[in-house]
Amino acid sequence: MPFALALPAWVWLAVFFVVPIGVVVWYSFGYKPSIFSTNSNDRLSFDRYVEALSPTFFNTFQNTFWVGVIGTLLCLIIGAPVAYWIAVKAAPSKRGMLLALVMVPFWTNFLVRTIGWQVILAPEGWLSGALQFIGVIPGPLDILNSRGAVLLGVVYNYLPLMILPLYVAFDRVSGPLREASKDLGANSLVTFLRVTVPIAQPGIIAGVLLVYIPLMGDYITATVLGGAKGNMVGQMVASQFQTAQNWALGSAMAVLLIITIAVSIGVAALLLWLVTMPLRRRYALRLGEGS
Amino acid sequence: MSRWLLPVWSTLVFVFLFLPIIVIIVYSFNVGRLLVSWDHFGFDSFAAIVTKPAIRDAVLVSVRTGLLAAVIATVLGTLAGIAMARNPGKWVVWFLGMLLLISVTPEIVDAVALLPWMVFLGQDAGIGIFNDGTVRLIIGQSLFSIAIVSYIVRARLVGLDASLEEASADLYAPPFRTFVKVTLPLAMPAVLAGFLLSFTLGLDNTIVSAFVQVSGTTPWPVYVLSALRSGLRPEIAAVSTIMLVLTLASLALVALVLKRAGDSATDIARTMAGG
Repeated sequence: MPFALALPAWVWLAVFFVVPIGVVVWYSFGYKPSIFSTNSNDRLSFDRYVEALSPTFFNTFQNTFWVGVIGTLLCLIIGAPVAYWIAVKAAPSKRGMLLALVMVPFWTNFLVRTIGWQVILAPEGWLSGALQFIGVIPGPLDILNSRGAVLLGVVYNYLPLMILPLYVAFDRVSGPLREASKDLGANSLVTFLRVTVPIAQPGIIAGVLLVYIPLMGDYITATVLGGAKGNMVGQMVASQFQTAQNWALGSAMAVLLIITIAVSIGVAALLLWLVTMPLRRRYALRLGEGS
Repeated sequence: MSRWLLPVWSTLVFVFLFLPIIVIIVYSFNVGRLLVSWDHFGFDSFAAIVTKPAIRDAVLVSVRTGLLAAVIATVLGTLAGIAMARNPGKWVVWFLGMLLLISVTPEIVDAVALLPWMVFLGQDAGIGIFNDGTVRLIIGQSLFSIAIVSYIVRARLVGLDASLEEASADLYAPPFRTFVKVTLPLAMPAVLAGFLLSFTLGLDNTIVSAFVQVSGTTPWPVYVLSALRSGLRPEIAAVSTIMLVLTLASLALVALVLKRAGDSATDIARTMAGG
């Protein structure tokens, strides 16, 4: 058997990952029979999905999607110049150190970094005091427990996950290739758009996915900075399991979360393909003429 | 102007990235009742770690389960990584698919899936071991780490061709001896890096741990999460500062191991970003 060595890992992951996820999918078709019981699968239906998409909960799905998309775009816009600078412009001898600087926050406890923001943004904190002192805001800072604070938190928390794959992507674009482009008369912008970005594209997509997927399922940032109200699906799922003890509804929400992530990535891929189609055609034609 | 734009922007981003970490370190020297309101400078919060058993126990639970989960993840992940690199076939696609699924499943979904499953195994099926807090935490922390170790070990061995192992076989070494004397040493830098990354991931694991934990074995991040509701005290920042130093030490070790093994800065970045 060629996969004999992988068998222990396979069994372990099947028992503790695949089966439990399967059970959640199974639970999602059941219901909560009484206040003393968490779930029952006597009758199977899609009712929990209908319930999860009712206006009470749908709002949270919308909000999560908004934070997910805006947060990912902000990470890309903020992180891309940094990754490009480290990979292309910074002195090669300093690269290791600069990368280490990106990794330190990435490997600092997620919860602790987020609490750091809670300390900074607190109405009684030093930032609030400083801003009031220079007269930017009239009263104490009032940003905690809002969607803005959650957005700031997720951009902060997932930014290293964007910078690292982007760095690897930009690093792949060799210097001679860019020089050749310039020798052939392209200016910096054209070189960036037509040489660097197309070659770095897989890495850019990897970065976007690495940020978007965990961001959509975020639980901690929203809990620490968004307050007890809970405005992300992750919190909503958690509260169905912990507080409301409605495992059937919580399972349906978890499955819907995964479906939302998968479908939105599919739609984004399709859009990207459609948008770049005219570009690809033009390139193909030019290559044809050249040869 | 554009020559200055990128460095200035990058510097600002680095300040942004380090701001909350510096704040936590500074506030760990806060002598006050609550973390957020600065009172005055002192070392009381560090002393509290020794005197308050709840904090000390939580940290010890984290270290213990983190180490055990890292051992399991390293053994299972290394074997799987070697199998993928040396015995490729159709099965690798399926296996990688499952690893990918683990990496992209939001942690909260893992957490809510594992909780009922542990309850089922421990209580309904009567397998007592799954009622044990340490066992539950180790299982929860190992899942993602197994995927990471498998990726890293596979990536390293795919980069080295199998001629050394073939030579060993030609010289009549039985398969097991070839494995121990040739394949494993070749994979060693990746195995060590994987172990340290797994340990760090275990120390930091919050969401899955919060769901599967049993009272009595509360790991450190879960202690912090529950302190969030009752009011954060400076001790939290003090322990976080110590944990940060520990994490940085183990990451420096990873970087050193990989550098010794001949990886470039890019390879190290790729490994540390999780394959």
